[in-house]
Amino acid sequence: MMMMNETPSSSTTASSSTIRELIAFRIGEQEFCIDIMSVREIRGWTPATPLPRAPGYMKGVINLRGAVLPIVDLAARFGLATTEPSARHVIMVAHVGGRLVGLLVDAVSDIIQMDGATLQATPDMASDQVKAFVKGLFALEGRMISLVELGWIIPDVEAQAA
Amino acid sequence: MIKTVLTIDDSRTMRDMLMMALVEAGYRVIQAVDGVDGLETLSAEGADVVITDINMPRLDGFGFIEGMRSDPANRSIPVLVLSTESDAAKKQRARDAGATGWIVKPFDPVKLVEAVRRVAA
Amino acid sequence: MNDAVDPFEAIKVVFFQECDELLGDLEAGLLAIEGGDTELETVNAVFRAVHSVKGGAGAFGLEDLVRFAHVFETLMDEVRAGRKACDDTMVKTLLRASDVLADHIAAARGQADPVDAARSAGLVAELEALTRGEVYVAPAAPVSDPVMDALATDRTGMDAGLAGGEAQAEAPFEPVPVMPGLPQADEFGFRPVVFDLKALDTLPPPAVANGWRVVFRPRGRMYAHANEAGLMLRELARLGQATVTLDASELPDLEAMSAEEGYLSWTVDIVGASESDVRDVFDFVGSDCDTTFTALADVAASAEAAPAFDIAALLARAQAEVAAPMMLEPIVSMAVAPPAPGAAPVPAAGTAPGTTTAATARPAASASPAASPSVTAASAAPTIRVDLDRVDRLINVVGELVIQQAMLAQRVVESGLARSSGISVGLEDLELLTREIQDSVMAIRAQPVKSVFQRMPRLVREVAEMTGKRVRLVTAGEDTEVDKTVVERLAEPITHMLRNAIDHGLEGPDDRVAAGKPAEGTVRLAALHRSGRIVIEISDDGRGINRERVRGIAVSKGLVAEDASLSDEEIDNLIFLPGFSTADTVSDISGRGVGMDVVRRSIQALGGRITIASSPGKGSVFTLSLPLTLAVMDGMVVSAAEQTLVAPLTAIVESLLPRAADVHHVGGHDAVITFREKFVPLIDVAQVMGFRTEPVPPSSGVAVIVETEAGVRAALLFDAIQGQRQVVIKSLETNYQQVPGIAAATILGDGRVALILDVDALVTNARRKPVRADLKMAS
Repeated sequence: MMMMNETPSSSTTASSSTIRELIAFRIGEQEFCIDIMSVREIRGWTPATPLPRAPGYMKGVINLRGAVLPIVDLAARFGLATTEPSARHVIMVAHVGGRLVGLLVDAVSDIIQMDGATLQATPDMASDQVKAFVKGLFALEGRMISLVELGWIIPDVEAQAA
Repeated sequence: MIKTVLTIDDSRTMRDMLMMALVEAGYRVIQAVDGVDGLETLSAEGADVVITDINMPRLDGFGFIEGMRSDPANRSIPVLVLSTESDAAKKQRARDAGATGWIVKPFDPVKLVEAVRRVAA
Repeated sequence: MNDAVDPFEAIKVVFFQECDELLGDLEAGLLAIEGGDTELETVNAVFRAVHSVKGGAGAFGLEDLVRFAHVFETLMDEVRAGRKACDDTMVKTLLRASDVLADHIAAARGQADPVDAARSAGLVAELEALTRGEVYVAPAAPVSDPVMDALATDRTGMDAGLAGGEAQAEAPFEPVPVMPGLPQADEFGFRPVVFDLKALDTLPPPAVANGWRVVFRPRGRMYAHANEAGLMLRELARLGQATVTLDASELPDLEAMSAEEGYLSWTVDIVGASESDVRDVFDFVGSDCDTTFTALADVAASAEAAPAFDIAALLARAQAEVAAPMMLEPIVSMAVAPPAPGAAPVPAAGTAPGTTTAATARPAASASPAASPSVTAASAAPTIRVDLDRVDRLINVVGELVIQQAMLAQRVVESGLARSSGISVGLEDLELLTREIQDSVMAIRAQPVKSVFQRMPRLVREVAEMTGKRVRLVTAGEDTEVDKTVVERLAEPITHMLRNAIDHGLEGPDDRVAAGKPAEGTVRLAALHRSGRIVIEISDDGRGINRERVRGIAVSKGLVAEDASLSDEEIDNLIFLPGFSTADTVSDISGRGVGMDVVRRSIQALGGRITIASSPGKGSVFTLSLPLTLAVMDGMVVSAAEQTLVAPLTAIVESLLPRAADVHHVGGHDAVITFREKFVPLIDVAQVMGFRTEPVPPSSGVAVIVETEAGVRAALLFDAIQGQRQVVIKSLETNYQQVPGIAAATILGDGRVALILDVDALVTNARRKPVRADLKMAS
């Protein structure tokens, strides 16, 4: 589904529309970020109920105030490593295509503001898996922060059924 | 209050044209690519008016309207059918399915907006 | 896109990009057809590709391209409608046509020279000939050829039609300039007063000093299409000076009033409007609205005025009457109206007798709720309208309450408090109260199945026509109520079963007469409450199940062993097995590959059961039994390899502690256990779920005997049984997706998520051949 775009004919478009507010987080040694509007809340790790025969990156489901929330191990999803979750880990509850999903990460760094126009392309040497989920890179004060495309985190069920 | 128009058409060109005309007229526009997507989007986001093409893959315009009207909650949402064909039989079919009005394409943006205003007021 | 680019041009670029894709689809589709693909969808895809090219081209005024695409599209339309067969000659012509179409597109894009006119004209001729059912033969001498002349004329006609860039004689929405300063609709969206329009200078001067009188009476159907009398009246008002009179003489008594019918009619005299403008306003509603047009000049001066509408009298009548239960029905259907606050999807004829309009203008956000409570309070058991949102939220909160109460009870138990202590007793009372609240809240959301049943007569007519059968549909119990969540999902299975009953169950009229039955078959759709569930019966007086044939099919498909002895009932239930549908059972009607197993699965997904009883030569009865609500379920809480699972109580027959002697191993991995003189498969659930890799000795656990919808039994092996509880059902699909073997999830007393087992899926997947379940122990 699409939201209303700013059409070229609307005269109020300014460069301010390209500033994005993002939340940066860490997985292992790497830093990533996602649009802050997608994130509903941040909470600590609680043990999840495993799902039978689920892919390795699905850690299971937890109870989020009465809703059943699936937990995605982002490290595993990115092909980096499988996380052994502990109380030190963090779950970012995010809105992804009409669903609520919990993203398991090592830690949340900070909230940053970046100009979308400065997004750089993912370098060719990045692994295919990372490239699949990463839309580009931001450079901030010597940090390299990859912008994650949340829509690809959970494979679209309809696409499989179609 | 800004009204939301759901536009359903499998042609990107058509969706773009509809969006252009409607956004300029002050409407918020959400899109879907076929009848199935249309029903899901309508159910997830809601809309004040729906504009739908007829010929689409997976579920065509008639199927969409029938599916939409089968939920009594959707009875008051006007649906405008957008099509290049305009013979009486197709119109009757559209009526039977539950459409509110008919717009022929290629459409004049002014007429399109007028039609939407007429049913959405 | 940057500001410098004209958005129109930008979309044109998009269009040509899309054309590339469409050409690709077009060619792929045609090649597939050439290669023998006969799928309707392939033909449809080819049609849509050409149709989309034409549509976009028209928007940009690319005349040549539009013309060519139109001829192409016309032929494809014939093919997709089944009026023309696509044989080899045609496919080859179509492929060549797609090449020319590509040329036209390239030319329109400015990327190539103009199309070879002769070649294009030749293809057009071929396509048109094929559309007429002929084969075009290129004339030897192009001069004064009647065929070419005729074609030229045709093309001219087509040009004239297409030149406007817009379609033809029937121009629906003739736009009328929006009138500024028009007074806002009142709360009913109706202004039964003379209009005084300003800014008439934007209107063309009226051609005739006189005008037209329109009398229109909307039918219920019109409202079902989100059309409203208010919209018509507003449009008419824009055309000229309008006088409106309402005729409510047909308004029936409240008890007889249906919330969905139209009973009001309006007479509108418009001065200064042309006939075509006036007729245009009603162009689309067509037969959904009875309209008559008379020139004002012809209206007899002595025409009777419509009877004045006396609100007071009607109210008095309403208040004087005893509230009939029927009155509740329209109100209830209002109560489950859409979330848009106050907006009624249905004419206010059903809302209250006092409102003067059937056009509760949806746009007027503050529509009728103000009117209804006061009037209805006087005439019926008091009711109120509630937003569906609020009801849903209430149900969710109550669901949470149930969970919290369970958690509290658990903590109390864990704390070791005596069962007789004040706290424990208090908690038990709390549990009873919570259940009561839950039941009451569920009742609010209950809806009659009528909304689903109402669609069936039309379906029956259509299927009857398509199959050439004569059918009469009888319905009963449409006021039977069930939770909204269930009602919405009944439509599909009922539709399939009705189709089946007509397509396969009923014989054709001749066969029926030969069998001594009336030529017209009867299909009966009934709903009733029975032991806390809702039961839907679909019966027909057709030929019943041909058991020989069903059994034969099952054997030939390897679903049943040839020598298996099956009872009549077991044979009847074979049709529910996946893979049962044969090529000739899946006809166009019951079609698109839906067999009874899919129907059964969708019923099971609702927590329901479906059974069949059949009498050869007399007919069949399908019985659907469904829980009254989808939101809660009685379950048995069990553990398997440290995981807590829930098994639906409705599927459970018995539980037992397996003894080693009762367990027998078959083949490498499979085990069976004896239960009531039969062997049933023993399924190690922890292993199947992947929670454990090594099998455990069955005697160390507990076996729960379950039965699937088809009556197939199996034993599920768990580590232990924790207890029995009512649980609130949470969907996994909301935020994740369907998980095989798992029906849903719930939140237990300890706050953790527990998965609810899909017993049918577990059992079906574990069994490879149904034969084993039939083994009888030698007595």
